[in-house]
Amino acid sequence: MADGFLERTLKRLGDVRGHEARAALALSAFFFLITATFYIIKPVKESFLIGSKPGWWPYADLATALLIGLVVAVNARLLDRLPRRTYLTASLLFFVSGLLVFWLIFDVHQKTLSSTPVADTSGVIFLLWAQTIIWNHFPVFVIAFCFWADIFIAMSVTQFWIAVNDVFGPHEAKRLIGLFVTGGLFGGIAGAAAAALMTVVRLVEPEDLLLVCPILLVLAIAAVNGVYAEKRRTDVVAGDERLAVPSKVGAWESFRAVRSDRYLRLLAAMVASAIVAGSLINYQFKWVVGNIYPTVQARTSFIALFFLVILAVSAAFHLLTTGRVLKSYGIRWAIAAAPAFLLAASAAVFVIPLGLMLAWAWVVRGGDKMFDNTLSQSVRELLYIPVSADVKYRAKIFIDVFVNKFATGTAAVLWIVLNAARNFEYRTDPLIIIRETGLAALAFLVLWLALTRFVYREYPAVLKKDLGRIWQEGRTVIDAHLDEKLVREIFDAVQSRERSTTLYYMNLFNLVRSKNLTPELQELLGIKRNELKARAMDALFDVGAAGGLYPGLEEAITDAEFQKEIDLIYLLPTYQKIMDENLGKIIGSPSEVERIEAANSICRMAPSPPTMDALARLLQDRSVEVVLYALNGASVHRWPEHVPVILRHLGNPMTVAEAQTALAAYGPEIVGRIAPHLRSADEPAEVRRAIPEVLARIGTQKAADILVAELARRRDDMEQALIDALYKVRAERPRVRFRERDLRPELRFLIRKACDVVLGPPGPPEEAGAALVIRLRRVFDLLTLLYLREDIVNDYQHILQGTSKSVDYALEHLDNLLDREDKELLFPLIEDLPDGERVVRLKKALRLK
Amino acid sequence: MVIKSRELSNVVIFDIQGEIRRTDTVQETLHGLVEAQLDRGRRNLLLDFGGVEFIDSFGVGQILASYISTQHLGGKLKLCRISDKLLLIFKITMLDKVLDIHADCDHALESFGRT
Repeated sequence: MADGFLERTLKRLGDVRGHEARAALALSAFFFLITATFYIIKPVKESFLIGSKPGWWPYADLATALLIGLVVAVNARLLDRLPRRTYLTASLLFFVSGLLVFWLIFDVHQKTLSSTPVADTSGVIFLLWAQTIIWNHFPVFVIAFCFWADIFIAMSVTQFWIAVNDVFGPHEAKRLIGLFVTGGLFGGIAGAAAAALMTVVRLVEPEDLLLVCPILLVLAIAAVNGVYAEKRRTDVVAGDERLAVPSKVGAWESFRAVRSDRYLRLLAAMVASAIVAGSLINYQFKWVVGNIYPTVQARTSFIALFFLVILAVSAAFHLLTTGRVLKSYGIRWAIAAAPAFLLAASAAVFVIPLGLMLAWAWVVRGGDKMFDNTLSQSVRELLYIPVSADVKYRAKIFIDVFVNKFATGTAAVLWIVLNAARNFEYRTDPLIIIRETGLAALAFLVLWLALTRFVYREYPAVLKKDLGRIWQEGRTVIDAHLDEKLVREIFDAVQSRERSTTLYYMNLFNLVRSKNLTPELQELLGIKRNELKARAMDALFDVGAAGGLYPGLEEAITDAEFQKEIDLIYLLPTYQKIMDENLGKIIGSPSEVERIEAANSICRMAPSPPTMDALARLLQDRSVEVVLYALNGASVHRWPEHVPVILRHLGNPMTVAEAQTALAAYGPEIVGRIAPHLRSADEPAEVRRAIPEVLARIGTQKAADILVAELARRRDDMEQALIDALYKVRAERPRVRFRERDLRPELRFLIRKACDVVLGPPGPPEEAGAALVIRLRRVFDLLTLLYLREDIVNDYQHILQGTSKSVDYALEHLDNLLDREDKELLFPLIEDLPDGERVVRLKKALRLK
Repeated sequence: MVIKSRELSNVVIFDIQGEIRRTDTVQETLHGLVEAQLDRGRRNLLLDFGGVEFIDSFGVGQILASYISTQHLGGKLKLCRISDKLLLIFKITMLDKVLDIHADCDHALESFGRT
């Protein structure tokens, strides 16, 4: 079958992508075959059990409950020791052989019923004593068959979901789960219909139905082998190691895996409460049916019709809703649908009159089965997917088997207790018994609903566990390893040595005063002499044989007394007076070095009006070097009159960084002053684009609000600067709050702009791809303002450079985090889709033709 | 300062000549050139400092801004052939802890393939 045709066909049943089509089809076929097998076995099992004495009936359930642990232990050991493909094939062959053995046993028994115990034709295979044993102990074999059938359904369904977990990631599985459940539902309908048809027209004897099953299971072996063969092929292509070998598992390890993990404990409790509630609803149903249909024949007909209708309705419900609910509302709401519906339906029992009780039973029991067959089953399986591979296999076996049986047993005990507590002599009214049972069912439904909330709350955290940081952000690395401002000052100090001795010592003095220099830095700057300096520094910086310009002065600079003396000079009124009188002349010097020295010195002077006037002139100096030192002085004095001049320097790439630093030094009071320049049409674009960084460094709530308001003006030329600034505020000022109502429209606007890159590419594919990455980066930067920053950054990194599995986890995490409309637009942009498919999905999301 | 760019084995190499100083910057800054390559979808960038004698604080700022921009998009920025004099200051100021510095360009190019 051509892949294209296969993909198109499967697309009608679910959201199947090209590379997944073969594996998805094979897994659906596998599920179809095992459920069809089960629904053929089920009537045979029930028929033989009912044919036994009623006293034997409970032993079938008891055998399953008691021996399931042993089976799980053996299964876990096999799962641990065998390659997955071998394990699945071997276990299916085991069930095939079991079917043949039980067919032979039932066949011998049925034949000997109509002939003599020893003269049956099957006797050629069996020894005489074997026939006698079957004849004398037939109920034991029936119970063994019931136990075997229970094991078959429990193990085969678990194995199916293990295969799904092996092959697909959480996000893929969520898209495909509808297809799998469809396979299971149709398998059930096909199996039940085949069994009914063959027995109603008496085509075969009931036990002969067991001979149909091995054929189906052999086909299932082929399907599952096809799945793993396809997986091996795709893994080689993707270079992905999805199929991790699970560590050792056993019954105790399974229990410990659940006990040690809060998420799994909650999941187990949720499953248990759902099963207890469902079992109690089933008891209510039985009571209603038992009272309305007194004869066995009428009851059997009704129950057969009931299951047929429920399976058909489940299939329709599943095809129409499961995929859509999961896609549109995610696990969050899908997980709560069943308990919410059952809670409402169960509560109705208290107001429904007896005459309508059968209709009520249809709704509540039918609803329970329908959800169980469709949405609840899908959600339950999806909830396991983010759990790490080795834990998942242990936990799944424990919850699906032990917890399941424990919950069924709990419901049975509860039912016995409820009956024992009633006074049967006076309480024969079925309505009262159904309603009393309803109270217990309601309690467990409430518990179930509450647990869905807890499980959902934990779900994203489990998804996030495997989404660590791929790379550290540049700013984080820089901040962790060095003081950028100090590094820049050191480079300037070293450079100034070539320019002027005085300037060098001024810089040295400033460095020593403001920073706690490491010994290595002191060596570099010649402050501390030792052998290292003699060997390395002098040669590098051409210091000369004397080792310094003014031998001994470097050490003096570090001396506290020396620094104090310098400070005192600056504070002297006479010094200030002289400087006020002469500064104008000094800064008018034609020598650039002298003007630089003056600008440097002003940093330490008292801010008298003449000094500030001089600084204003230096800020407008023709030399960039002078301006840079003056900007440093301006950041120290923070004189309001200097702001307009500093703003102008934002437009020069050589001074922009220092101008931003100077303005940021003014602090929150400058926010209101520079905000108008952000949106002024008179300001050069370079100046406007540099202002957001200043606001980000100030980082107050008001500054952030101004940035958001400016973003809302949607000016292309400002977008990058504003988003960078907002991202910085979020990263460095976690206390700043962003209002969703302000940001949501801007986020959507940015996503739409990213969509435009795909729908109307600006150039060749390579260029469009690069443009899309830049657009998406802005979208994710903005998302950090609405959601937990760490999570968004991790998701982005994995989408960009993760493995196929981690990309899927990131998508699933975002799927549970983002707003529905945002998801509809964003997901076609970030999912791995063929270009044509991406365009189709985007147009659909944008409601374009 | 003169900066020329060329592409080799999926790596954009910036050959820098002269000194990265504020006063020597003509029109386009180093960071501006790096961002232009990032906008074109290039993610592996190598700064060849073989022809650079010295840099000032402006040059340091340009390198660090380029590093941040590249990291932000999941790219890699590396440096090669730094003079002994500069390397010593890079080491003492711990810039070598942040920047991926290689002795020669061949090793640097190889390392893009490894990481």
